[in-house]
Amino acid sequence: MTDNQPSYVLEAQDVAIHYGGVKALDGVALTLEKGQIRGLIGPNGAGKSTVIDAITGRRPLTRGKVLLAGEDVSHLGAVQRRQRGLSRSFQRTSIFGGMGVRQQVELASHKMGVTDSAQDAEAVLQELDLARLGNAIAGDLGYGEQRRLDLALALVGRPKLLMLDEPMAGLSVQESLDLARHLKALTSRWEVSVLLVEHDMDVVFGISDAVTVFELGRVIASGEPAAVRADPRVREAYLGSAA
Amino acid sequence: MMHLLRLLSWPLLALAAGAAIVLVTRSNSLLGMFTQAVIYAIFALGVGVLLRQNGLVSFGHALYFGAAGYGMGVVLTLGWLPAELAMPLVLAALGAAAFLIGLVIVRVPGIAFGMLTLAIGQMAYLLAARARGLTGGADGMSIPWPNTLFGVPQSVLLQPSVLFMVSWVVLVAVAVALACLLRTRFGAITEAIRDNEERARFIGIRTTVPRALVYALSAMVTGVAGLLSSLNTGFVSPENLHWSVSAITLLMVVVGGFRKPMGPIVGAVIYFLFKDLLGEYATHSMAIFGAALIAVIVFSPDGITGAAQRLFQRLFQRKKGEGRA
Repeated sequence: MTDNQPSYVLEAQDVAIHYGGVKALDGVALTLEKGQIRGLIGPNGAGKSTVIDAITGRRPLTRGKVLLAGEDVSHLGAVQRRQRGLSRSFQRTSIFGGMGVRQQVELASHKMGVTDSAQDAEAVLQELDLARLGNAIAGDLGYGEQRRLDLALALVGRPKLLMLDEPMAGLSVQESLDLARHLKALTSRWEVSVLLVEHDMDVVFGISDAVTVFELGRVIASGEPAAVRADPRVREAYLGSAA
Repeated sequence: MMHLLRLLSWPLLALAAGAAIVLVTRSNSLLGMFTQAVIYAIFALGVGVLLRQNGLVSFGHALYFGAAGYGMGVVLTLGWLPAELAMPLVLAALGAAAFLIGLVIVRVPGIAFGMLTLAIGQMAYLLAARARGLTGGADGMSIPWPNTLFGVPQSVLLQPSVLFMVSWVVLVAVAVALACLLRTRFGAITEAIRDNEERARFIGIRTTVPRALVYALSAMVTGVAGLLSSLNTGFVSPENLHWSVSAITLLMVVVGGFRKPMGPIVGAVIYFLFKDLLGEYATHSMAIFGAALIAVIVFSPDGITGAAQRLFQRLFQRKKGEGRA
């Protein structure tokens, strides 16, 4: 990297979200390099989804900063963050059920300022094997197809950072593995950085370049997958005998 | 050329149907009733577009129906502007006011939005009833329309057949304009916000302004109905602003179905058929309309046009099946 380029696509510094006395997140620090996939794991209620909400601006920070490619976006709204290349999918499938598949992906691309939004939408639909369903109404699609459409909406305009909140939830084992492989190839080709919250450990350790482990709103371990897997605190707190 | 012809075919057919109604209907009172039905159909289109594009129910749209009449009444009484200029300006003022109100109230979801529209509408009702000097108070005010409007003498314009045809043409124009507008990117944006506001924000859509614009658009369409009504009766009173007028129009939209662009128009026509034609035979025609409303809500939540579409699809599929066999 040259000197005038920021080192990280994402840098979360001392991020905290408190609800009264409850510390949903406390002093969380995270970094993500270009094209890197970082898996976030931890027990239910550990703060994984809250981290995504904090970074996307869905929940206000009590303390800390979020830098996107070196720019402080902590005080920007969700729309401005998306326009700067920060994108997300949701834990529950979040699409426009009454609209056509191609229509909504093309609209999302247009709102990202892509000049040829039709072509961009088509490329994303092709990539996620949704092109043949382009004219279907989104609400009529099967669950797995709706999950991919959710991902397509997040991918248009080639975001710098993609945050995926349990993208494999509700998918069969084979569908999960297919999507994981696809995601790995796609992020590498499009140089998108990914923060992945996922309960399927095979997927997380299979495709992540780095893993961060949460417990009670704090980071208890972070590093390469093999090192994290071997960390005694992680084994004790989360992975247990499954590790 | 073919595309243009196809695009124009429905409006042209609709205009021809309007002319046929005038030719066939001999009774002036019946034409008067039809004119009222057409005016309310435009009103219902306004309420329907808000429900369809924003998913919001208004209990206070009579505000814009009555305000259009009051606006014309005040401007013409004070002699500020010629009527031809006052009409578009009153509509623009209604649109601007509704946009500003919309910027505040469309942020409030569901039933709370409905209550806010009710409160604002009733405030206007009370204001009109009490501002005696300007509006004539509870007695209402006559609107001093000029002797000629757009070069047409009032004696001609106010003939039942002419007034019906004018209202009909306006209805077709409003329906076509709405259909065209909602097929643009603006229509897609408002649909996306209606379907999933949070997701819309996360694809980069600012959600408040488009929703306020739909509210303003719906107010302007309602204002067009209000202008026609004030031309038809030459009079406006606080009753035009009353919440019950909003409620009746909302019933028309629900009965006709708000998901189809034609739904509100069908609802208005059915309402007037019940009210005026059935009213001659049954004292409690509105009770029958109420029962019809309950039946529609229970059996076809997307209204009569939704039920008709399902029936049509079923028949079409059966025919297709028979054809294959």
